[in-house]
Amino acid sequence: MSPDFLNFIETFLNGLMAGVMYSLVALGFVLIFKASGIFNFAQGVMALFAALTLVGFQTGQVPFAHLIRAIFGVEILHWGAGMPTILALILTMGVMVALAFLIERLVLKHLVNQAPIILFMATIGLAWFLEGLGDLMWGADIKPMDVGLPSGGSFWWEDLTATWAAQGSDYYGMYIDTLDVSAAIIAVALVVALSLFSQYTATGRALRAVADDHQAALSVGISLRRIWVIVWSLAGFVALVAGILWGAKSGVQFSLSLIALKALPVLILGGFTSIPGAIVGGLIIGVGEKLAEAYIGPLVGGAIENWFAYMLALAFLLFRPQGLYGEKIIERI
Amino acid sequence: MNVHIREDMSRHTLRADDGIATGGDLLKVDNISLSFGGVKAISDISFDVRKGEIRAIIGPNGAGKTSMLNVINGFYHPQEGVITFRGKTRSRMRPHEAARQGIARTFQNIALFKGMSTLDNIMTGRITLQKRNMFWHGLWAGPAEREEIEHREAVEGIIDFLEIEHIRKTPVGSLPYGLQKRVELGRALAAEPALLLLDEPMAGMNLEEKEDMSRFILDVNQQFGTTIALIEHDMGVVMDLSDRVVVLDYGRKIGDGPPDEVRNNQDVIDAYLGVPHE
Repeated sequence: MSPDFLNFIETFLNGLMAGVMYSLVALGFVLIFKASGIFNFAQGVMALFAALTLVGFQTGQVPFAHLIRAIFGVEILHWGAGMPTILALILTMGVMVALAFLIERLVLKHLVNQAPIILFMATIGLAWFLEGLGDLMWGADIKPMDVGLPSGGSFWWEDLTATWAAQGSDYYGMYIDTLDVSAAIIAVALVVALSLFSQYTATGRALRAVADDHQAALSVGISLRRIWVIVWSLAGFVALVAGILWGAKSGVQFSLSLIALKALPVLILGGFTSIPGAIVGGLIIGVGEKLAEAYIGPLVGGAIENWFAYMLALAFLLFRPQGLYGEKIIERI
Repeated sequence: MNVHIREDMSRHTLRADDGIATGGDLLKVDNISLSFGGVKAISDISFDVRKGEIRAIIGPNGAGKTSMLNVINGFYHPQEGVITFRGKTRSRMRPHEAARQGIARTFQNIALFKGMSTLDNIMTGRITLQKRNMFWHGLWAGPAEREEIEHREAVEGIIDFLEIEHIRKTPVGSLPYGLQKRVELGRALAAEPALLLLDEPMAGMNLEEKEDMSRFILDVNQQFGTTIALIEHDMGVVMDLSDRVVVLDYGRKIGDGPPDEVRNNQDVIDAYLGVPHE
């Protein structure tokens, strides 16, 4: 195989893996949008908040340490050596469930039957609030995330692919990050687990019922408020996974919350109501931007990776506004 | 086949076992008034539904029939009046709580879960009877699995009864109208309700579909002993099916009694024929 073709494959694979990460963020949006018609602007911040909390528990940080110092003058930044990752994970999930509960109790409950734009604005407020709360609880410094996932380039893959090139060429093999691979595997497992849960369990059936028709769901005895807590907890869980994977890649810091912006073109491509759409959309965006950077980038001076996704989304809006798998909007007149 | 169904349904009546004898008051609505802003939908209406009967609510368009149903199952909260169901009086109740107390309903314009199969739709009807929480569901083992199988059997009984075996796995959104109505009835029956509310179960049906539906309604009432309150426009159907009829017009009650008596009530005739008031 020619080195050019191998380079193409490498770019494509890296695009796929970046795409899986985008899908993961988009999935959190789709879950909430399907069940309650709310576009949850806070999804990215939830990922940041979950990651901060996890690192905080892991490293034994005292929450609100700086606040406590400011008010009481007591300096207790750490307690002991932290806790095992698995315990920290369970506790963080507990925090995300509690958060879902509070969001339902303090925000959603009071906004039932309001227009979607009102709920959307409430989630913007929620995003600002959570961002501040995260900083206040755990501090605003950049923290490394280590939950024991492998990272660094795979030599095995590099050596293997080096032999694929034609004799005599100076091809060194493909670079692939093991962290990306494990992230992709985890994301796939999460998606499979979520779809099995929604297809084959009674709670999953209730979730689908609510997503389909609120009124009918109420009439068969489903409590909307309970379902909302469950859905926001699930979105919190997805946010936690996304926060871990993105945090392991680039450190836990404020910019983590901006991954939500990358989910937007994914959602426009895949449709806001489709889980397979979120996955396929993420993959297309991931592959698209990596290939564009590699092949169109040099022609226009590079760095098109940053805006290519939005251009693609814009083109989609013109020709297929409901997305690849979204529900087609048919208006009877 | 029939024996099997009846056996199944003897279990269904368990929930209806609330100490109220057949013919006793299952539901009483007293002096209910409901308005939206300045528009009065229902003014001071009282009637009762006796256990084991088929009770029809009739009246011209806009008479307040559907509003009345929405009040009974908790979608609307009346400004005045009280509702007594199975001996318990309440003024405000949320729909899912009404469902848990044994009130199931169908809708005028069909409210099915269109993306889900017939089987899944009817299974959701049993949600109030499922006791295991979502952690068991997540594990999908032991008690949750046993419970799921048990409910699945009951649902298969209902599918047999309604003769919809052939569309078990079809997404209901793609079914013809008449079958959708039948699936919706199935979902309501799956809850083993003490009171079944049917909002125009035969609207938009052809003669044959109407006959089928009438037969199902009568069978539900006679075989399972389910109390039914229904809204219907087809007078022939109403007079044949129901034990007692309540007539509404402009949000007021203008007649109440057995079909024959109501048919000869001058107010009712006027309301339906539009005779000018002197």
